Amino acid sequence: MTVLLGDPVLAELRQILGPEHVLTGRADRLNRTRVPAPFPVHRWAERMPDLVVLPASTEEVAEVLRLADSLRIPVVPRDGGTGLTDGAVPLRGGIVVDVKRINQIKEIDLDNRTCTVGTGINALKLNEVLGRHGLIYPDDPASYPCSLVGGRIGTSGWSLIGSRYGHTRDLVLSFDHVLPGGRVIHVGDGIGRKITKSSSGYQLKHLFMGHQGTLGIASEATLKLFPKPEAEFSPFWAFEDYDSAYRAVGALARAGVATFAGAVLFDEWKVDYLRRDDEAYIPQPSSVKALVCAALYGYEDEVRAGGRRLLRIARSLGARYLGDEISEGDWAARHDRYATPLHGRTRSGQVVPMSWHCEDASINYTNLPAVRLAWHEIADRLRRESDVFDDWGMFAYTNGATGADYLTEIDIGIWEQRLDDAAWEAWVRAKRDLAAVTLAHGGSISACHGSCRAGEVDLVPEELGGGYDVMLAIKRAIDPNNIMNPGKYLLDQAYAEKS
Amino acid sequence: MPDPEKRPETTPEKRFAEEWRNAAYNCFSSGHKFCREVCPVTQVTRNESWSPTAFHANVVAMEQGELEIADVAADYVNCTGCGACELRCPNSLFTGDFYRFRTRTVDLVKAVRGLAVRQGVHQPAWQRWNLLTDERGHEPVLNGTPVDQARVRDWAAGLDLPIGGETILFVDCEAAFHRTSVPRAVARILNLAGYKFGLMHEQWCCGGPAAEMGYEEQARRFARHNLDDWRAGGVRRVLVLDPHDYVTFTEDYPAYFGDAYDIEIVLVVELLAELIREGRLTPHVPVERTVTYHDPCRLNKRKGVWREPREILRAIPGLTFHDVDRVTQWSYCSGAGGGLPVEKPELTARISEQRVGKAAELGVDTLVSACPWSERPLSEAGRARSIDVVDLHELLAESLGVAP
Amino acid sequence: MKYRYQDEMSPPPARRVTDVAITRFEHVFEVEPALMTDHVTQQDFPNWDTLRLVRSRADHLAWMHRHFADKVLSGEELLHDLDE
Repeated sequence: MTVLLGDPVLAELRQILGPEHVLTGRADRLNRTRVPAPFPVHRWAERMPDLVVLPASTEEVAEVLRLADSLRIPVVPRDGGTGLTDGAVPLRGGIVVDVKRINQIKEIDLDNRTCTVGTGINALKLNEVLGRHGLIYPDDPASYPCSLVGGRIGTSGWSLIGSRYGHTRDLVLSFDHVLPGGRVIHVGDGIGRKITKSSSGYQLKHLFMGHQGTLGIASEATLKLFPKPEAEFSPFWAFEDYDSAYRAVGALARAGVATFAGAVLFDEWKVDYLRRDDEAYIPQPSSVKALVCAALYGYEDEVRAGGRRLLRIARSLGARYLGDEISEGDWAARHDRYATPLHGRTRSGQVVPMSWHCEDASINYTNLPAVRLAWHEIADRLRRESDVFDDWGMFAYTNGATGADYLTEIDIGIWEQRLDDAAWEAWVRAKRDLAAVTLAHGGSISACHGSCRAGEVDLVPEELGGGYDVMLAIKRAIDPNNIMNPGKYLLDQAYAEKS
Repeated sequence: MPDPEKRPETTPEKRFAEEWRNAAYNCFSSGHKFCREVCPVTQVTRNESWSPTAFHANVVAMEQGELEIADVAADYVNCTGCGACELRCPNSLFTGDFYRFRTRTVDLVKAVRGLAVRQGVHQPAWQRWNLLTDERGHEPVLNGTPVDQARVRDWAAGLDLPIGGETILFVDCEAAFHRTSVPRAVARILNLAGYKFGLMHEQWCCGGPAAEMGYEEQARRFARHNLDDWRAGGVRRVLVLDPHDYVTFTEDYPAYFGDAYDIEIVLVVELLAELIREGRLTPHVPVERTVTYHDPCRLNKRKGVWREPREILRAIPGLTFHDVDRVTQWSYCSGAGGGLPVEKPELTARISEQRVGKAAELGVDTLVSACPWSERPLSEAGRARSIDVVDLHELLAESLGVAP
Repeated sequence: MKYRYQDEMSPPPARRVTDVAITRFEHVFEVEPALMTDHVTQQDFPNWDTLRLVRSRADHLAWMHRHFADKVLSGEELLHDLDE
């Protein structure tokens, strides 16, 4: 449905939100269409909403949803808009509900170690305040300096130090959630706002996280806090081949060190890529073929003990410690080294601005080597087809403290200035192929971003099997008029069945 | 091959996008928007249309024929030119020096504003402000009381400063007409140290504000006048007390005059720190205040100058100094830059309130700045919280025991 | 920092580091300029700006450590402990 200027709905929205918080300008709408994942620029306008609202409270969100539901107008929630699976992209026009203004810190509960915030807040800004109380909210995505709590809930994001502190689903205790019809419910473990474990009723918290905005909008969240770590240790090691690095990362993750917050494996392609412009790796000898890093957080005495143990394990497996300067610098740069487009190179080596796109399956440790080779083959095919694509190498990050599975990512540079329809088709095909490799190796299509973009989304019903049918039934029950982010996750099927 | 039947229509927007294309894509294609939470405007409005990344994305949209300058000119008002976005951008901070290609949001905003003015799309308050500046040679900083060429040196009354000479002190419009105690303090301190300097023959506004608001031709004309005046007077060195002037003289003037630009520019704060280090100035009168320091954006973010002001503060006896590090202050701003207070004073006020709120959390009684332009809105916000806003140069003068 | 145009626009001479990188300032790498000729061309970059970014990067990295923990442990020191 299209909302036209002068439509009575505009007047009503202005009444609800105040006129300055209802935006209809072309630039306002174009900029609420943008997300980091590449899409052909010449098709940008296809994804424009009809208007944008900037609510300041749960009540305002609820009123907007009530109105939209009664008029069957699509609604797409938007927070930081940094997600990589297009959750915040409107596919059917309608209203973008941008919740960035709901960013207050409502409460810091020092005794129960929680805080309650508006979901438009950024974790770095929150931690600047919590730091004064010696506390931290340790949800640490690569987008840490700009992603917002509501987006973390809507995508059920992943944290770089999640092996120590858990991921978003573990760190968000509960939240106010506005259902598509405008009803506000509180979702958590049981009814509690600050309860960390309940067995009362269905466990709804997981359902209302990671739905990519298809089930409603979270507006206020209660978060779990930890003592700000006294000490950090982030060793980086070099290896002469991938297999040694692969063995080492597995051993580090399985070591059972309590302060272990995560480890990352970099493959040969990634090391080659870093040699293009990373000050730490330009001077490294050519014998360096793979890298592993680990991060530990906690009290100094426990980090020291754990650090020594990991250093001993790495050394026994052929690792060369890269020194304090690289180790400290590279870990602190963990948010900054992804999204710099001039990493891009044409086949002849010329510098071009490419967007960074990362496919992020969850893969068991034992399947990492096979998935890696199959994925690089797909990336190589793309590169041979077109200069638009560039293989930026792979990372594998520990998901948990035991080393069972890894967020496995292949980074592909995409030269958006030249992303025409043919290249886009090739990309969508490649995404489908990457997801197929994942499923063939018992993995999940996404560990982190979600899986509702073109290409990969086709395989979601296959991945979830009977669970996908339950998904359809839930969508229909909660959003009978299909107003919430329609077109995502192939959920329109839920309504086709009904009619 | 392009179809000769279908010649692409060329619009001013498309020609503009041609020039800014790679810079715009270097932001557009960068998935992370670290600019947003350091941008003073985005922080207080939470409006993504007024975020640095939107300013780049709009250029891509112009290239695609999706936007015209009239659609977006008013959005580009919402920038103080503080430089936080371009510094915090990984394309500057992590790869800018490597590629010799960094994010230049401030230049882009100026260029879009310039495009708007050339296309006849004016912001009313900016148009009036620059008209008055053009008439009078100085910015109309006195709220209705006309500024006057004959009074541009009134601040120096009784100081017996020479006119001309190899080294001159340039005093920005705000300090020359409104914050007159700041240049007086600077002049008296330099005299105390025995540092020789004079004043300009016929000082006009530096032209920087006109350039920031898009009135490029006027900005160049003012710059030309000042450079000619310096040359005619045999000036080799210009001392600058205002961070905005410092940026104009070290970025705009070089861009206008290129190789012919042979004037040495010296920032007064750096000079004073050096004079203290050399023992030529020794602050000795205790100043009993509990202070924090406001890093002026154009010094800290745009020029990397943050050490010297702290050096000066630490040399003043009696002060209790609660410092906030320079990186945390990348997200602080007074809201006074880039013409924002001229066109949207209410937004400047919100940004100032936020900045003063940060100072209040530290329990200080005084916020020290080193930028005359920041001091008006900060003082207004400070009054509500009983926090004095004091200029660093004046504070130093007090501790050196020199008369106001 | 005294600003003089001629000084600022005269970078130190380049020395080759790898096929794709050179260096002009100590510990600071730059791309081989020949790689930025076809699509993206380099900007005018006064020396102060290069040094401002390098120093700001170091300050930012130190800030990021402080933001997440009170202190950073040295791997070199811990390795030394292992050898004791």
